[in-house]
Amino acid sequence: MAWTLDIKGLTQPFSALGHSARKPHTLDYPRRPTPPAKGYRGFHVNNLDTCAGCGNCQDICMNEAIDMIQVDDDINPKNASGLIPRIDYGRCCWCGLCIDVCGPDSLAFETDYIYVSPDPNSFLYLPKKRADEAGADGEAPQQP
Amino acid sequence: MSDTIRIFQGPQHPGVTGNMSLELELDGETIVTAITHVGYLHRGFEKLIERRTVLQAFTIVCRICVPEPDPYEDTFARGVEALAGLEISERAAQLRVLTLELARLQAHLLWMAGQGASIGLEIVPQWAIGDRDYILELFEQISGARVYHMYIYPGGVRRDLPAGLPERLLEVLEMIEQRLPAYDRVFFGNAAVRKRLQGVGIVDAAEALRHGYAGPVLRGCGIPRDVRRDAPYLIYDQLAFDIPTASGGDAWARAQVRRAEMVQSIRIMRQVIDRLVPGEIQCRLPKHRKFKIPRGETYVQSESARGAFGFYMVGDESEYLRRMQVRGPSTVHAFTLLERMLVGAQLSDVALIMNSLGICPPEIER
Repeated sequence: MAWTLDIKGLTQPFSALGHSARKPHTLDYPRRPTPPAKGYRGFHVNNLDTCAGCGNCQDICMNEAIDMIQVDDDINPKNASGLIPRIDYGRCCWCGLCIDVCGPDSLAFETDYIYVSPDPNSFLYLPKKRADEAGADGEAPQQP
Repeated sequence: MSDTIRIFQGPQHPGVTGNMSLELELDGETIVTAITHVGYLHRGFEKLIERRTVLQAFTIVCRICVPEPDPYEDTFARGVEALAGLEISERAAQLRVLTLELARLQAHLLWMAGQGASIGLEIVPQWAIGDRDYILELFEQISGARVYHMYIYPGGVRRDLPAGLPERLLEVLEMIEQRLPAYDRVFFGNAAVRKRLQGVGIVDAAEALRHGYAGPVLRGCGIPRDVRRDAPYLIYDQLAFDIPTASGGDAWARAQVRRAEMVQSIRIMRQVIDRLVPGEIQCRLPKHRKFKIPRGETYVQSESARGAFGFYMVGDESEYLRRMQVRGPSTVHAFTLLERMLVGAQLSDVALIMNSLGICPPEIER
């Protein structure tokens, strides 16, 4: 293809140098963590006072990440099965369907999302913190 | 002794657009034959969906294409709605269009980053990825997730817009609109970029029509085809927007088309925000296990940033889809088009051409 001299096209890319004097708009240094948005899908929380042990969350989980297990904690006396959900975070995809189908609205997301452990078994997460204790500000998606 | 050498570009290579491989036979720097190899990313989505209820399956479809998952969610949802006879509210349709156009905008920014990186213009990926992050923040506020949103649901959408989001969205749109001239100076108006992209990866208009190419590849040949205009879905028929085209059929023409589409997406989103109506965001759905899909079949289409794609879906009165087949533009672009286009091209153009075609390997290996 024939070369045609394009003075403007050759010089205007250097205007990018003007950005070197601007304040960065990405990460600050020293780094400040960015708070997650309200409603971010972080860890699950389960209000044991209201969890009915129905197992709807286990049934709808498409990754089979939820097991219903027995615990020693105080649970809702009306819990039909005496079981509460335990979530395998190695399988969970954070779709939130379990929260959609939770009849008593006991299951919710909180916005915390960082967890590091060398123990793989610790990723079998038991969301038993009460929503008020956890300070959960996540908004559960609307019920289908 | 052969005069040519055979090398693999990919699957682990910064110049390929995903986990796929190109087997190239080279005579010096010139490609003599090119063979596309896939199989590194097969996750069996179509089969997985056949073994999950439709409410479970919607969490899978977004994973078919990483850079732009929302059109897949919407197409799947519209397919289920067509089979099950569901109608969504006007507000849900508006929120879907808002999400889809936001996804298109961020996909084009991501393309720009890839295209800049493929020709060694590293400033463009730095800018584009940074600007795209503002859109991901909006997605985080809208859906609670940044990349796989799992937001568009059979029957509507899963959450309403949080308070203040339309205002924040307008701010981000204005910011991106003001940034576009800076991209013009560095990328679209850059003589070196134009020289690098012009005449590379040329597609003939008649061939594009004959083989079913889509999206910017087709519109870069001057053919104004767009599913949003040709077979309108959601509320696209009520919105004013243009179908940008360019002539030449080369990588430069496709870049021009995408640049113009970003402006059109911003235009569409502003219209939707102006027209937002209050109302329900979901229609009433049966319970999870009682949501049976009536016997029947449908084919639903969408326009993504990479082009037109469709789902063929069949119901058989059970809670599972009997069959769902994905027809994505990347399959055609990666086999029919890329293998022939690379013959005679230079080795250094491979990454450029792949980015320009918008090939998405997860879409090929669904």
